[in-house]
Amino acid sequence: MTILTPIIAAHQITRRFGNGALETTVLKGINVEVAAGEFLAIMGKSGAGKSTLMYQLSVLDTPSDGSLTIAGVDVQQLDETEKTAFRLNTLGYIFQNYALVPDLSARENCMLPLLMRGLSHQEASDTAATALTSVGLGHRIDSLPALLSGGEQQRVSIARAVALEPKILFADEPTANLDSVSGQAVIELLTTLHKNGQTIVMVTHEREYALGCDRILHMEDGQITRTEQLTK
Amino acid sequence: MVLSPWRESTRAKHYNCKNNMRSFRVGLLLGWRQLQRASLWTTGLIVFVMMITFLNLVAVSGILVGLIVGSERAFEQQSIGSVTITPLDTEDYIQNSDVIANILQQTPGVVDFSVRYTSAGSITADYRSRQSPNDEPDQISARLTGIDPTREDAVTRLSESVVEGDYFLPDDTNALLIGILNLERYSENFPDFTNSLTAAFPGDTVLLTIGSVSQEFVVRGIVDSKVGDVSSAIFIPERELRRLIGRASDQADRIAVRLDQAVPPERVQSQLDQAGLADSAKIRTFDEALPKFLIDIKNTFNVLGTFIGSIGIIVASITIFIIIFINALSRRQQIGILKGIGIDRRAIEIAYVFQAAVYALAGSLLGVLIIYGFLIGYFERKPIDFPFSDGILVAEPLTTLTRFCVLFVITLIAGFIPAWMIAKQNTLNAILGRN
Repeated sequence: MTILTPIIAAHQITRRFGNGALETTVLKGINVEVAAGEFLAIMGKSGAGKSTLMYQLSVLDTPSDGSLTIAGVDVQQLDETEKTAFRLNTLGYIFQNYALVPDLSARENCMLPLLMRGLSHQEASDTAATALTSVGLGHRIDSLPALLSGGEQQRVSIARAVALEPKILFADEPTANLDSVSGQAVIELLTTLHKNGQTIVMVTHEREYALGCDRILHMEDGQITRTEQLTK
Repeated sequence: MVLSPWRESTRAKHYNCKNNMRSFRVGLLLGWRQLQRASLWTTGLIVFVMMITFLNLVAVSGILVGLIVGSERAFEQQSIGSVTITPLDTEDYIQNSDVIANILQQTPGVVDFSVRYTSAGSITADYRSRQSPNDEPDQISARLTGIDPTREDAVTRLSESVVEGDYFLPDDTNALLIGILNLERYSENFPDFTNSLTAAFPGDTVLLTIGSVSQEFVVRGIVDSKVGDVSSAIFIPERELRRLIGRASDQADRIAVRLDQAVPPERVQSQLDQAGLADSAKIRTFDEALPKFLIDIKNTFNVLGTFIGSIGIIVASITIFIIIFINALSRRQQIGILKGIGIDRRAIEIAYVFQAAVYALAGSLLGVLIIYGFLIGYFERKPIDFPFSDGILVAEPLTTLTRFCVLFVITLIAGFIPAWMIAKQNTLNAILGRN
């Protein structure tokens, strides 16, 4: 599938680990394009390379070969500091293990990247409160992560990501540590965000959660074996 | 592809002051919250280590220097005074010492002064009981110091140093005080003093000989002081000494001047100089008259104290390094995630440096409270009893501030290095816990 104005354009992405005889190629010349506003799921068995692909697309890792353009920027030209700034200003992340700072309240966790972007303390606090309210945690904004359930923590993680209004939201198995009810709630949140125009790339191994996406990339042995276009 | 403008704008943004301020704000928030949520016991222990380090840094050298300062203080208060007047290098005596005494009486800030005359002589204790002229006499050669008992006591409080017998009576003439360094029964503390009297007790009569003149004196008391000049002297009323050596009253050997504590010695020295006394005598403040060896010892002790304190600093910096390293290492994944979501590395480093700074500040503040609120006063009341001085704790504010700054900066570095080591690691490796 060719997209006229892809927000992500990855060509011949290869990722190798190790050297010499121990070298392993985890991604083998992947070509992916993601349209603005698309909800893309990446699925595959364990070891298929789906998470590794997401790390390349989300600028958390650097491909061994290939080219990657995100929102018009050739990200391989950026140094580490620039990549950090690029992630802050362009991308949002939801991690499998929620990835919240345990010493900070839900509000402060959401405030961190906002403060880093230059918002005043009050602006960041208000924006964080709004984001938390939008994920149904308006009553827990000053709670520490340890006092929240897994589902609530993941919703804080989503609030932190969406508070930044990122161009692309990456979710790495966001339901993996959740029970089915909480998992479904997280997926519903992501679906709502997508309906509001948010571009989302999600890695999951649960097909039922991927069914709400626009497209599913099926991976096996470091290659995309099948693209499944979902009709709604 | 629009790479260059974005890169340029990002670079410009990243390195500008605003971005530093953002990192600083985020770093402070992270650091402060980590401190707030940390175990009280752990924080208390770290602050305690920093406090001990600060005390080690300031108090050890302070006590070493205090031994010498205590000695100097005793030398000033019990011997030469805050301002001391001695003969010119070209003269044997202070010229016109009566005139100088008159001027001193009218000089503001002078509490009192003692005019002294000195001479060499000998004391024989057993001259009455010795059976045979061939027996070795119980005799010493000694430095005789003639004093006005009332004025001397007003300047040096000599009466407080009498450990046996009494101080001079107001009308004493043929009486003397013997410093303990002249007595065998005290010589166990000073084994090198071989020339000492065996039998000289308060009330005994001894024979004082100067040149060919001899006269009997009654031992009025025994004087003990940590100032060697006092403990080795034989004090007799100045009129008797002058009579024995044939010295006029205006030919003194030293005038020790005691000043009001609020009056700087330099001011009195200047006033005496302006009165024209510099032509008759050498007028020096206590600091100027201080023997060079005391200054050298003080400097050496200061260096020694700094060296010992430096070891403490090394131990503290290693402690802080380990604490921050373990803290940062245990949060490696969290640090990776923070970088992953776009938090600048510097913000993470600032968070840990901030924690180290708080530890150093809290420890030093406690140290300052203990030193200035307790230890200095304690050692003033109960000085350390050394043979040559009453040791006090000297902690001059400027020196303390300098040592605090050294400790603070080293602690910041010790906090920064592990944070930098962990924060510079590959972001994804940190997130995934890979090496």
